[in-house]
Amino acid sequence: MSIINFEFRNEVLKHNASLSYCYQCSTCSGGCPIALITNGKYNPRKIIEEAILGLQDKLVESQDPNPWLCSTCQKCVELCPQKVELTEIFTLIKNICFEKNKYPEAFYSQGNSVFENGIAIPYSNAILTRRKTLGLPEIKTAPIDEIKTLLKETNFEKNILEGIK
Amino acid sequence: MGFDLFLGCVIPARLPYLEVSSRKIFEKLGIELHDVDGFSCCPDPTGIEQIDHKTWLTLGARNLSLCNSNGGIISFCSGCVETLKGVNFNLNKDDQMKKEINDYLGKVGKKYDGKVAVKHFAQVLYENLDKVKENVEKPLNGIKVAVHYGCHYLRPSEIIEWDDPFEPVTLDEIVKSLGAESVDYDLKMECCGNPVEKSDKDLALQMIDNKFKSIKESGANCVVVVCPACYQQFEFNQRELNKKNGTDYNFPIFYLSELIALAFGYKPEELGFKFHRVRPSNLFKSINFTV
Repeated sequence: MSIINFEFRNEVLKHNASLSYCYQCSTCSGGCPIALITNGKYNPRKIIEEAILGLQDKLVESQDPNPWLCSTCQKCVELCPQKVELTEIFTLIKNICFEKNKYPEAFYSQGNSVFENGIAIPYSNAILTRRKTLGLPEIKTAPIDEIKTLLKETNFEKNILEGIK
Repeated sequence: MGFDLFLGCVIPARLPYLEVSSRKIFEKLGIELHDVDGFSCCPDPTGIEQIDHKTWLTLGARNLSLCNSNGGIISFCSGCVETLKGVNFNLNKDDQMKKEINDYLGKVGKKYDGKVAVKHFAQVLYENLDKVKENVEKPLNGIKVAVHYGCHYLRPSEIIEWDDPFEPVTLDEIVKSLGAESVDYDLKMECCGNPVEKSDKDLALQMIDNKFKSIKESGANCVVVVCPACYQQFEFNQRELNKKNGTDYNFPIFYLSELIALAFGYKPEELGFKFHRVRPSNLFKSINFTV
C-alpha cells in the first residue's frame, strides 16, 4: 500500500505548478524511447501520476518507475498537450532522491569530480601530452577554491560529503 | 565580433582530436574564437542538473559571467549549449532565483547579468553556409551520412530556439553542402541513449543497437554527430555491442567538424583520425575516396 505524502506533493507543486495540468493522456509515454524499450516499465505518465498523488515512497524510496532511467531526450516535454514540464519535474524528483542518498553511483562520481576539480573529467597526463602533440592550447580551468565556495553555498558540498560511502 | 569558446569537459579532456577539426574550420572561415580562462564544467545537464538543480544554475551562471565577446558564447557540445541556454532561460524568468544566485556569485566577485547569447557551433556554421560552401575544396563524393541530430541540439525547443524539434534540417543541409549524401533512416530522431548509461548500461546498449540496425538498413556508410556524448555512445559502445550481441557494425563516427575539415582539404593525419576506434580509412578505401 502506498502512503500519500502531502508535504512531498506540495514541494513538487510549489516548484513546478504545471504538474497539476496533467490529465493522464499518456502522450508522454507514447513518445518516450525508454518506455518503448522497457515495455512501459519505465513510464513518464506514471511518474507524473505518482507525483500528483504525493507517493514519495514509490518515487523516492522504491523508485518504481525509476526516475533515473529518463534519458532527458525532452520528447515528452515537447509533445505534452497540457504543457506539463515533465523533465523539470523529474529533475526535482531526482534532486530529492540525491539528497536521500538514492542514486546510481555514476551520478555521484560525476558530482564528486566537479566538487573536487570543478570539471567533470580531470585532465590526465596522457591527455595533456596528446593535446600538446595535436597543437592544442593549454586550458586554465576554474580556480577550485572559487568553485568550492559556491558549492558550499548551494549545499552541494554537504550532499557530496554525506554521500561518501 | 567573434565568440568566446566554451569547450566543456568531454571534448578537451577525452576527445581532443575533435577539438582540432572544430578549431581548424572556424579559422578557415575567418570566424574568431577566443579562449577564456576559468570556466568550470558547464555543468552537465544530464548529470549535475539531475542531482542538484541549484548547483547547476550557479556554476552555469558563473561560466556565463566570464564571457565578454560580442558574439557571446559558442560551444562544440550540445550539452554545454543546453545548459548555458537553460540557465539563461531559467534565471531570466525568475528574478528571485537570479538574485539568490547573484548573492552566491558575489562571494567570489562575479555577477550574472543574463545578457550573454549562446550558440551551438553547428548553428554558426549553418548561418554561414555560403562561406562553408565556398571553402569546399574536396567534395565528399560517395560518403553516405546517417545524420544523428541528438536530443539536446534541438530540445526543449522553448529553450534551444533553433531548428525544428522533430523535423530538423540544418545538419542535413550542412552535410549536403559538402558534397556528401544525407541518408534518411527510420530511427533518425531517436535518442542515442548515452545518458541512460549512468543508470543502466544494457538499456543504453539496446538503444544504440536499434539505431545502428536502422542505419544499416538505410545504406548509410557512416554516422555524423554534433555532441560528444552521442559521439562516445556511437563510437565507444559500437565495439562493445558487437562483442555482446555478435553484431558486426563497422560505422565510422564523424564529428560534423571532421567532415567539414575533410571537405576543406585537411588531411586525416592533421585531424587525428587515427584516434578513432572505427578507422575512417577503411571507409575511404572501400568507396575509392582519396584523401
